[in-house]
Amino acid sequence: MNAPLLKRLWQTFARSRVGRSIFRVGLPESNLERSQAMTSSFLLHIQPAKVHKHSLKAGYSLGLGLISLYLFFILIGTGVLLMFYYVPSTDRAYNEMKDLQFVVSAGLLIRNMHRWAAHLMVLFVMLHLCRVFYTGAYKHPREFNWVMGVGLFLLTLGLSFTGYLLPWDQLAFWAITVGTNIAGYAPIIGPKVKYLLLGGNVVGQEALTRFYALHVIVLPTLALIMVAVHLWRVRKDGGLSRPDESGDVIEQIPLGQLPTNKSYGLMELARGTTPQVGKNPEDEVFSWPHLVFREILLFLLVAAVVLFLAIFWNAPLEEYANPIYPPNPAKAPWYFLGLQELVSYSAFWGGVVIPGLLVTALVLLPYLDRARAGVGRWFARERVVANSIFTICLLAAIVFTIIGTYFRGPSWSWVEPWQQPPAITEGR
Amino acid sequence: MNNSMRTFYGWFTFLGLVIGGLVILGYYRDEYREWKQYQHRFIQEEIRRATTPQQKALAETTRVEVRQILLPELNRVDRCTTCHLAVEDPSYGGYPQPLAYHPLHEQHPFEKFGCTICHRGQGRAATGADAHGSVPHWDQPMLPMKYIQASCGQCHEAADNPAAPELARGQQVFETSGCRGCHKLGGVGGNIGSELDKVGARRSPEWLKQHFLTPSAVTPNSAMPPQKFSDADLDAIVLFMLSQTGESAPGYYASMKVIPSASQGQRLFLQKGCIGCHSIAGQGGKVGPALDDVGLRRAPEWMMQHFRDPQSVTPGTVMPKFGFTETEARALTEFLLHLRERNVVSSLPSLMNPVERGHEVYRKYGCAGCHGLDAKGGVPNPNAKTAEQVPGLIYVADGYTKSELNTRILKGQREIPALDPKRAPPPLYMPAWGAVIKDAELDDLVAYLVSLKPKGEDVGF
Amino acid sequence: MNPSTPNDPNDISRRGFFKLTLGWLAGTFAIIASAAGAVRFLVPNVLFEPSQIFKAGKPEDLADGSVTFLEDERVFLVRQGNTYRCLSAICTHLGCTVNRTEKGYHCPCHGSVFDDQGNVKSGPAPRGLAWFQVTLSKDNRLLVDKSRMVAADKYLVLPTKV
Repeated sequence: MNAPLLKRLWQTFARSRVGRSIFRVGLPESNLERSQAMTSSFLLHIQPAKVHKHSLKAGYSLGLGLISLYLFFILIGTGVLLMFYYVPSTDRAYNEMKDLQFVVSAGLLIRNMHRWAAHLMVLFVMLHLCRVFYTGAYKHPREFNWVMGVGLFLLTLGLSFTGYLLPWDQLAFWAITVGTNIAGYAPIIGPKVKYLLLGGNVVGQEALTRFYALHVIVLPTLALIMVAVHLWRVRKDGGLSRPDESGDVIEQIPLGQLPTNKSYGLMELARGTTPQVGKNPEDEVFSWPHLVFREILLFLLVAAVVLFLAIFWNAPLEEYANPIYPPNPAKAPWYFLGLQELVSYSAFWGGVVIPGLLVTALVLLPYLDRARAGVGRWFARERVVANSIFTICLLAAIVFTIIGTYFRGPSWSWVEPWQQPPAITEGR
Repeated sequence: MNNSMRTFYGWFTFLGLVIGGLVILGYYRDEYREWKQYQHRFIQEEIRRATTPQQKALAETTRVEVRQILLPELNRVDRCTTCHLAVEDPSYGGYPQPLAYHPLHEQHPFEKFGCTICHRGQGRAATGADAHGSVPHWDQPMLPMKYIQASCGQCHEAADNPAAPELARGQQVFETSGCRGCHKLGGVGGNIGSELDKVGARRSPEWLKQHFLTPSAVTPNSAMPPQKFSDADLDAIVLFMLSQTGESAPGYYASMKVIPSASQGQRLFLQKGCIGCHSIAGQGGKVGPALDDVGLRRAPEWMMQHFRDPQSVTPGTVMPKFGFTETEARALTEFLLHLRERNVVSSLPSLMNPVERGHEVYRKYGCAGCHGLDAKGGVPNPNAKTAEQVPGLIYVADGYTKSELNTRILKGQREIPALDPKRAPPPLYMPAWGAVIKDAELDDLVAYLVSLKPKGEDVGF
Repeated sequence: MNPSTPNDPNDISRRGFFKLTLGWLAGTFAIIASAAGAVRFLVPNVLFEPSQIFKAGKPEDLADGSVTFLEDERVFLVRQGNTYRCLSAICTHLGCTVNRTEKGYHCPCHGSVFDDQGNVKSGPAPRGLAWFQVTLSKDNRLLVDKSRMVAADKYLVLPTKV
C-alpha cells in the first residue's frame, strides 16, 4: 500500500456518480474545491469558506466555545442511550441506575460519560463566557450574540440542574430540594415558579416527571436552536473578534457615500453598520483544511478526556431518596454552592438581589460598555476598569463556591477540609 | 503549509490511538465481571459431577449470564443466584460459598421469596461487596446470621414460630421491660419515645445495642434510661427490634404468613367467641359439648372438616359455618388437639378474670416501663416531686376513686410537679391513653390496679 | 522518497503516510467500537418478563391425563401416566394464544386448528405448536425451558410412585 494508491482509490470513489452525489466535492485539490467543500456540505456550511488567521490562534479563543459544543454533542449521544433504560418514576429511577451499574453492558461507562461531560460543560461554558469578556468580544457588533451566550449559559445550568434530579438518590433529592428553595426566595414570582417547577410543594413524582420532560426535550431543543443561532451569528457578526477589526467596520454610512468595496454597496442596498468579512484576503486562509482539521482534533481531544474520566471515576450514586433523612449538610449542585453560601447570610440579598443583579448586568453589559478599544486582545490595557470589576465578581463567585463546597459542614457550620469532620451523632 | 499538515497528522494519529486504547480499556473493564468466575467454576463442577452424557451436555450448555429472581410484589429483584448457583441443590450441602446449598427451600421456595427479604443486602447488585451491602451509600447491609431470626418476625408472629426461639425471647423481653410505656409499636404504646414500627429497617444492630446500653451515646439528650439487660436478653431484644421493619407482606405472602400453631389457635378460640357455646375446664357455655378431651375423641381431619363446614360431619348441628380460613382452621385444630399436653386448660380460666386480664393490659401498654414491674415502683424521673421517680401504684386505690383512675389513664398528666422549679422539669410524664386503650381494657386495668393493695388493708372508697 | 511538490498540502512522505494510516485505523476502530458498544448497551442482559426457564410445580400435583394451562408462561402442561410434557400455547402463525378444545387446540385469531399433539389440522399456521424441554429440578419440581424445543415424543419420564 502506498500513499498515491489509497488517495487514487478515494478520488475514484469521490468522483464517481455515487461519490459525487454524496460529497459533491471529493478531497479538495484546488482552492475552488476548498471553498466548495465548505459551502456544499450541510455540516460545514454554517462556517465560512475562509477564516481569518487570527481566529485560528489557539491562544486566543482557547477553543472553549467549541469544547462546550462538543460536550453538548456527547451529552446528546449518551443521553439518548440512557433514555432507552431510564424510567422517570420514583419507584424505578433509582433501580435503573443500579441496573445500569450492575447488569447493563457499558451502562456505568455511559452514565459516567454523561455525568462528567455535564459537569465539564457547565465549567467550559463559564470559561467561554470569561474568555469572551476578557477579550472584549461582546462589543459591537456582537452585542446580541453575547446576550444569546448568556441565555445559553443559563440554559446549561438548567439542563444540568434538571438532570441532577433524575437518579432519584439522596444526592439528587436534596440538591434539588435545596436548589428549588433558593429559587423560592425570589420575590412574588419565586414561590410560584417553584410550585410550577415541582408540580406541587415538595420534590416528588410530579417534580421528577417535570424535570425529566425539561431535561430530555424542552431544554435540549431550546439549547440546540440557540446554539445554531449563536454559531450563525458568529459568522454574520464577522467571525471571531480580532484586534484590527475596528478598522474593518464602516459605520453609519450616510446615503450617497456608500462604500465601493462591497457589491451591495454599489447597489445602494446597505444601511447602517456593515460588518465586513475578510477585508484583507491575504490575512485569510481556507477553512478546509485549516479550520476543519483543527476542529476534528479538538473533538478527538474532548472525547478522549471524557472517556478517560468515565473509565476511571464513577458517577456518584447515594442511597435511595428519603425525605425523612436529609444529609447534613444538604448541598445544591456545585455551581449553585456559591449561591447557597450567599443565601446562608441573607436569603433575600443572597438568593434574589445579587444573582438577579449579576444576570441583569451580564445581559446589559454590551449595551452599557460601548467603548471600542481593546477588542480582540486578552486583558487589554484599555479595558482595565471593566476587567477589574469582572475579575472581582469572578473571584468572589469562586471564593464563595469554594467555601460552600469545602468549608461547610453539618448545619452549614465552618469546617476546614484538611481537618477530620466531626463525628456524626445521628447515625444508623 | 506542509509542516502544519504534518503536525495535524501527528496529532490525529496520536489522538486516534489514545481513543482506540481507551475504548479497548473500557470494553475490558466492562466485560470483566466478578460473577463470571463463579459461574465458570460452577459449570466445571457440574461437568465433573455429571454421570450421564445427557447431564454432561446439559452442564456444558449452561449459559453464563446474570440470573435473577423477580419479585414484583415485594418490590425486589434478587440477583444473588448469579453467584450462589447451588442454593437449591442439596448435594452441594457443605460446599464453600458461593456454591453452598441453602436449606429451608421447602418452606420458602426461593423463586417466590428471593433472598434479600430475609438476608437483606443489595439484591440488584452483581458484585460480592455491593450485594452483601457493606458499601457506602447502601443502608441495608446483610443481617448478621446471629440476628437472622429477626427476619422471621417480619411476617410471622414471634410466639407462633418454634423455629425462632430468639425472636420469641426478644418479644418477651420487649413486652415485660415496659418499653411500650414510652414507645409505640403497632399503634400501642406511649408518646415519649419514637415509634418503633420501622426501627428494624432504619437502625443497625450495633446502633441498637449501643442504644440500649447508653441511649445518650447515639441519641443526644435522650430521656431513655440505660437498660440493664443480660447479654442474652440484650441480643434477643436487639433481634426483636430488627424484626420490626414495617415491611408488609402483600398478596401471596400474606396468605402464607400465619404459622398455624396452638397458641394462635388459643387466641382465635377466645377471639371468635367459641367459649360462648363450648367449655374448657368448666369455663364457658353449655350449648355445645365440652372440649377438654376432644383431642382424644376426634381425628385432625375430622376437626378441619368440622371447621370448614360443621354440617358436613355433624348433620343437624346448630354450630354455624364461621368461614375460617384454612390456616385459622388448622390453628384451632392444633389448639384443640393439644389441649391436654400443653396445659392450656389451666391458663384459660385466668383469662376469664378481670384482674388477670388487667395485669395483661398493664404489661401490654408498657405501664411497667415507668411504674415498674407489678407496679412496685418506678424508674427515676429527676426533679419529680414524687421522690424523683415515677410513683409505684400499689396503694393507688387509697388516693383515687375508680372514676378518677379512669380519667387519669385516659387524659394522662402532661405537667409533673417539680421538686425544684429552677431545675429542668421532670422528663417523664403520664401520656394520655384515651385514644389507644379500649373500654374493656380500661375496666380490667383499673380492676387490676385496685386489686394491688395488699390484703387486709382498707380500701379507700 | 516520493518527489513532493513543496506547496501541496495533501502530499505527505511515506513515513507520514504510515502514521496517518495508523491514525485512521485507530480512529475508524474507535468509531466502529463505540457504535458496537452502543448497540451492545441496548442488548438487554436481564429480562423483566416471566423467565424462559421456570418451575412448574411438583409433578404429583398434576392429575394423570390432565392438561393444565399456565397463564403467565403461556404453556400447557401435559401429564399422561408418568410422562410429562410442555406444549407452547403460542400459535405459530402470528403469535396469538391458543385455546384448549376437546380434540386439541384452536387459535381464536385466524382460526388455526391443532390436534392434541400440536400438529396443524387446518388454518394458516405454518407449523405445529412447539414442545418445550421438561426436566426435573434439583428440588424435584418440573423445570421447563422455553428456549429449548424438543420433539413431540420426547417425554420426561418419572418413576411411578409406589
